[in-house]
Amino acid sequence: MDTNTAKSAIFDSIRRNLAESLPFDEIYNEHKVNRPQDEIIEIFDNSRSKSSLAEIFRENLRSIGANCEIVEDKSKAVSFIQTRINEKKLKKIAVSDAGLIGEIVGLLEFAGDFIRNASKEVLFETDLGITSAQFGIAETGTLVIESDKEFNRLASLVPPIHICVLEAEKIHQTLGEVLQELEKDLSRSVTFITGQSRTSDIELTLALGVHGPAELHVILIEKKI
Amino acid sequence: MNQQTSENFAQNARVALQDTTLRGALKNLAKTFGGRRKTAISSVENWEELREKARSIKDETLLHLDKYLEKFAENAEKAGAKIHWARDGKEACQIVLDLINTKNAVHVVKSKSMATEEIHLNHALENSGIEPVETDLGEWIIQLAEETPSHIVVPAIHKTKKQIAELFVEKVGIAPTEDVDVLTKTARNILRSKFAEAEIGISGVNFGVAETGTILILENEGNARLTTSLPKTHIAVMGIEKIIPKFTDLDVFLKLLPRSGTGQKLTTYQSLITGTKQNANGEGPEEVHIVLMDNGRSKMLAHPVTRQSLACIRCGACLNACPVYQQIGGHAYGSVYPGPIGAVITPQLVGIGKTKQLPYASSLCGACREVCPVKIDIPGLLLHLRAEITEGEANGKKSDSEAKGKFAESLAFKVYSIAWGNAGTYKFGTKTARFMQKAVAKNGKIGKVSNLMAKIAPPLGNWTEFRDAPTIAPKSFRDIWAEGLKEDLPANERE
Ligand code: SF4
Repeated sequence: MDTNTAKSAIFDSIRRNLAESLPFDEIYNEHKVNRPQDEIIEIFDNSRSKSSLAEIFRENLRSIGANCEIVEDKSKAVSFIQTRINEKKLKKIAVSDAGLIGEIVGLLEFAGDFIRNASKEVLFETDLGITSAQFGIAETGTLVIESDKEFNRLASLVPPIHICVLEAEKIHQTLGEVLQELEKDLSRSVTFITGQSRTSDIELTLALGVHGPAELHVILIEKKI
Repeated sequence: MNQQTSENFAQNARVALQDTTLRGALKNLAKTFGGRRKTAISSVENWEELREKARSIKDETLLHLDKYLEKFAENAEKAGAKIHWARDGKEACQIVLDLINTKNAVHVVKSKSMATEEIHLNHALENSGIEPVETDLGEWIIQLAEETPSHIVVPAIHKTKKQIAELFVEKVGIAPTEDVDVLTKTARNILRSKFAEAEIGISGVNFGVAETGTILILENEGNARLTTSLPKTHIAVMGIEKIIPKFTDLDVFLKLLPRSGTGQKLTTYQSLITGTKQNANGEGPEEVHIVLMDNGRSKMLAHPVTRQSLACIRCGACLNACPVYQQIGGHAYGSVYPGPIGAVITPQLVGIGKTKQLPYASSLCGACREVCPVKIDIPGLLLHLRAEITEGEANGKKSDSEAKGKFAESLAFKVYSIAWGNAGTYKFGTKTARFMQKAVAKNGKIGKVSNLMAKIAPPLGNWTEFRDAPTIAPKSFRDIWAEGLKEDLPANERE
């Protein structure tokens, strides 16, 4: 198919139709339309509390049924994960290549395999995924992972449990702020994660873990000064 | 199974009204999503400001759509995506099919996409021996049932748990159960094997960012993430109206869409994909193809009233709020897009000929306009389309007086649609329509107008319950009516 023919036909049609609209635009005053100011509109949320960003993040994430803990340091994060590993009799754990996760994995006692850079087939056999994230968004309880900064984001999706360890200082208040940060050095793939994989496709009944993890634990490390 | 057509809308609707199970499901939908939406936006004090901003971003984009499209295509290609252009659905299907054939692919997975529903992509692929697998739970259910979606966000809303369980027993051989978790797990397991073998993943697109060439896909299940990252080739089918200019424009749309559609602050996952991976060991597909499709969209640019249709972000709020949709569901519309937004875009996409009844499938209560996050004046659009229909009929009339009558009727709709657009905050209800009918008749000035008004009054009014609608200030309407219509009416029809 000649894609150039199609392209110029589409552009011709767009321009022709917009021209046809001009006299009507005047009646409807729509010709005056300008782009709005570029400033991000923050949501003025009347339920916004005076808590720390980590606390707001935790509250929002818990409100949709995911787990979130604020801990003081890395060792607490390690023991949280250690408890899960001991409880669940896991065999294979997918981990991302984030520095923080490497350090944590080094401190865990685990008889099975930690798998970095898992192939598609292996990934499907893992029981837990451990990643970090590059940003948190407090107002929604969202994790943001950039592919160029942290390899492998599918560890956050394919295993039935996802644990994310994030330094609390990486949390921003709003989505808008994070978009501005992301834009500075845009990764080929950016993923936002807010809670567990869910569906309401059967009679609007909530079911978790339909394609991604049914369990999400976010551990925020808040260094107290 | 459900091969209903728009031509038979009235008949379809009558049948749907007898279906009490369907009505129960729809009531649940309106209550659940309507309620959640209300809660989600009630804490946002500057909701109106967000809506205004989103709409003006869309308006400005559409007025310069050529410029922004060009920019989007350029930037996406710079990042390694391949852009394809499709004038219509047939071309889009052919492009996808050619790509699949070039790759010698046989296993294709799909995530939920109304654009691909619109062009009946699955059908086209099946005709060529490719069986694409829908991976969104709701879409998979209706694919198994050989049906079509009846809602743009929850495609299988018309099916009960029991029906779905029976379907799974029959089609995938599970033991009888009505446990939603078991049904969901079944889908997870079966679809995982499909993901494992798929060479091609097909998705839709929610937003395309001109300045970066990024496409964004929103979802709750995670199947779109799998579809766009596991297979070696990702094909995204995207209507040309999905463009927004700036990366940070995503902010306002991501605030509006989930809150309006499902009442969530944000859906579980957003995938922001900009071209292909940078090195061979990176994540994601090796090839990303974006099919930019017109399929009737550019025609809608020709008038400010119809142009609004292209601002739609497919949140589904107008369906959930519509008293007509709540009574009859999606299939009765006989079109891919049902509900208020379906009633306005279907005639524009597929032509008015066979869809004449759809612009009348509304009581003009205005609930859709009120909930729409991008402030599309759906009632105004419906009236505009009714005007076009009657104008078309006028041109087809043999006798002069008949044509004149039709012509006057068409004008009435037009004036009414302007009045509507200017009515600002007034809510419109049947009460209002009736009130106006009386007001105009009593005035007795404009001969046949009361008859015309009777036609504007909702044909489906008696089906529905209405919220209390404050009456529109009669004067403002009458003024516009008198000024606008008198001049345009043939001399003998004036006062
Ligand atoms: S018309 Fe408005 S409310 Fe309806 S689906 Fe589109 S954006 Fe949502």
